[in-house]
Amino acid sequence: MSQTYKKMLVDPLVDNNPITLQVLGVCSALAVTSSLNVAVVMTLAVTVVTAFSSMFISILRNHIPGSIRIIVQMVIIASLVIVVDQVLKAYAFEISKTLSVFVGLIITNCIVMGRAEAFAMQNPPLASFVDGIGNGLGYGLILLLVGFVRELFGSGSLFGITILETVNNGGWYVPNGLLLLPPSAFFVIGLLIWAFRTWKPEQVEEREFKIQSVEEH
Amino acid sequence: MSEQVSKQGPIARFLAQPPDSVSKTIFVAVSLCLVASMIVSATAVALRPIQEANKLRDKQVNILQVAGLYEPGIDITETFMKSFEPQVLELATGEFTDKFDASTFDDKAASDDPELSTVLVDDPASIGTQSRFVTVYLLRDAAGKVDKVILPIYGYGLWSTLYGFIAVEENGNDIFGLQFYSHGETPGLGAEVDNPRWKALWRDKKLTDEAGALQITVARTAPTAGADFHIDGLSGSTLTTAGVHNLVRFWMGEAGFAPFLKKLKAGEF
Amino acid sequence: MGLRNFFDKLEPHFVKGGKYERYFPIFEMVESLVYTPKTVTTMAPHARSYVDMKRIMTYVVIATIPAIWFSMYNAGLQVNSAIATLGPSGWRAAIMEFLGVGFDANSIFANIMHGALYFIPIYLTTLIVGGIWEVLFSVVRGHEVNEGFLVTSMLFVLILPPDVPLWQVALGISFGVVIGKEVFGGTGKNFLNPALTGRAFLYFAYPSYMSGDTIWTPVDGFSGATALSISASEGYEKLATHGITWMDAFIGTIQGSLGETSALACMIGLAFLLITKIANWRLVLGCLGGMIGFSLLLNVIGSDTNPMFAMPWYWHFVTGGFAFGLAFMVTEPVSASHTNMGRYFYGALIGFMVVMIRVINPAFPEGMMLAILFANVFAPLIDYFVVQSNVKRRKKRNV
Repeated sequence: MSQTYKKMLVDPLVDNNPITLQVLGVCSALAVTSSLNVAVVMTLAVTVVTAFSSMFISILRNHIPGSIRIIVQMVIIASLVIVVDQVLKAYAFEISKTLSVFVGLIITNCIVMGRAEAFAMQNPPLASFVDGIGNGLGYGLILLLVGFVRELFGSGSLFGITILETVNNGGWYVPNGLLLLPPSAFFVIGLLIWAFRTWKPEQVEEREFKIQSVEEH
Repeated sequence: MSEQVSKQGPIARFLAQPPDSVSKTIFVAVSLCLVASMIVSATAVALRPIQEANKLRDKQVNILQVAGLYEPGIDITETFMKSFEPQVLELATGEFTDKFDASTFDDKAASDDPELSTVLVDDPASIGTQSRFVTVYLLRDAAGKVDKVILPIYGYGLWSTLYGFIAVEENGNDIFGLQFYSHGETPGLGAEVDNPRWKALWRDKKLTDEAGALQITVARTAPTAGADFHIDGLSGSTLTTAGVHNLVRFWMGEAGFAPFLKKLKAGEF
Repeated sequence: MGLRNFFDKLEPHFVKGGKYERYFPIFEMVESLVYTPKTVTTMAPHARSYVDMKRIMTYVVIATIPAIWFSMYNAGLQVNSAIATLGPSGWRAAIMEFLGVGFDANSIFANIMHGALYFIPIYLTTLIVGGIWEVLFSVVRGHEVNEGFLVTSMLFVLILPPDVPLWQVALGISFGVVIGKEVFGGTGKNFLNPALTGRAFLYFAYPSYMSGDTIWTPVDGFSGATALSISASEGYEKLATHGITWMDAFIGTIQGSLGETSALACMIGLAFLLITKIANWRLVLGCLGGMIGFSLLLNVIGSDTNPMFAMPWYWHFVTGGFAFGLAFMVTEPVSASHTNMGRYFYGALIGFMVVMIRVINPAFPEGMMLAILFANVFAPLIDYFVVQSNVKRRKKRNV
């Protein structure tokens, strides 16, 4: 049994990563990865919400009426998100200012809903809880990787500590402004997916079609 | 099956109903909503005081920073309370007013309140409506004389409204510092308004010339009045620079703090 | 024929089953630099014409020659004129002095020479860094090194400001080649123009090196706005007070990226491409139509606060990168629409977007780069609609 719990935790990190394999939750990954501090807090928030919402939904799973299934899940997730948002505003004010609406938008993060529908509705509470933590961490791993690249090369720092002294502060490093803009996360995530799929070729999807050659040579 | 059911109490019988029965659907929906709303409102109410304190603290930190009093590790609230005296200022007359309590007056709400604000016709800072009353902060020295005043300013840059404070010396003309605490300008270009090196350029610049004409200029090239009135623009962001120029001149002009600054210069406070 | 024999002798080692099979692309590259290759194109976009890709690409490079010469002349002219008042600085000035050429802005030779000292380092960096990526991908992927890269690298250089640091050139071409082309499968499968992709990367990553007033003429302390940014801030009528007449802008002795200043040189190149039928005239017509139509509309609408509204189409034509983009990027066959009807729409979309971005967007005075990239993305969609409407029409006919 412990073997499967471990698998539930580790699987979503690389082999079944919610962002790079399932391509879920990309929107918030674009918005909150310009610095590592924010990425870490967002990871924690999403992990907590995914884990607890999965657990609660799993506890109630035998009593949730099919007709209002999605609404029930949404109510549970939304309540948890609001609680997390309030706690952040109270105890991590600076970071919650940067995260602004994106904490609220965890409600719409497909990973949370996805785990609720796909896992928690069929599995016991503890397993759902572990599964939620695993997926939250899988999401967080990508956030941290992207945040690392974006903060290091975009602002020359990591966790707010200067690594590369930028020109504007009298140093030598010319920061890459593109990496401070949200669209740059598309490139970084794209390159990550490329790297993951080169490493684990079984993740590559089958081609939908092949470009026709006029003649083979 | 029926035998089993008869042995259970009414609650267990109810729970054993298939989830899709009408009564259970309604029951689950109602009870879930009740529980969820209780949890949410309990958290919100319990945490409100801490959140309010955070917001206040954030504002105080910014005011301390612009006045050059902020150091990491100091007791924010205590330093702030000791140093600053908040006052509600009526812009048109340049006089303080007792109509409002300065510690609770909400500038942002006032600028949206038709009772307290005017719709601007000449609006270089693109702010729409301007409150007739604003909160300013006086910094007094040990002898109780005004040392600096911290004035709130805001206006539109390229993409967003920049909110900030400007610190002016007791002579009502020399700038001590300027800081924006909220904006959404382009990272790396307009967002360089946060760069300490650029902010340092504001130190000791003058608002008006000897004759009292507003000369302060934020631009690439210096004005004819001279370097004392000139803050170099942000390289590569013409429009944010223009926005800052407009909003500073607007707030320092007749529609803004000019009447108050004149009185300050005359030593009325 | 010694060289031919040499290649023939080497070839068995590189073809399938040979010792150096992996490195066939490099062999092929060197061989086809010297000899006409034996293979012909088989894939999109040339599937139907059987024209050798090498010839097309060579023609495009030939078409850029006037722009190349003029870019060197103009870069040198601007620098030499600025040096007359500000004094020389930097290693290039030292070379010029050492060779005894001097800084006479009236001497065509001194101008071209000084301009070349800016042009050549940028070009070499582009070729070397971009070339490494090309070879790397072709070795790993097992396809041939494509002559398309010669065009990409030349165009990329011509749309950079002369003052650009070389490490940025290297980053830009890397991004253009890898993200703009190779991740989609290489030449013929890229839906974005790789040169523009690289330029856009630099534009957003290092905006203070890619826009502003101090970058166009690389002399310390010199500040000169481009015609477009003057028009945006003061109105095009004021260009004359900055010493820019329409003729100056047409010939190209103004501030701007290396190759884009001269509408004249670009038009010579375009004429060559149109005559040799490399460029499709429908794209050109669509683009001109879109630009002229929308700018006339804005002239009529007018605006009190935005002087760009009043800018007439013939000024839009000669300022910024419009002429260059029209000649070499709008007409690029791979990333444009592939249907004849679609080409009109594709061109018109670019013409419309250029004016839209230049006039209405407050942040970017120049719009050609973004307009073309924008239309690149829409090209397949335009083709889809054209094909669908064709299918519908035919179905109706055959009811």
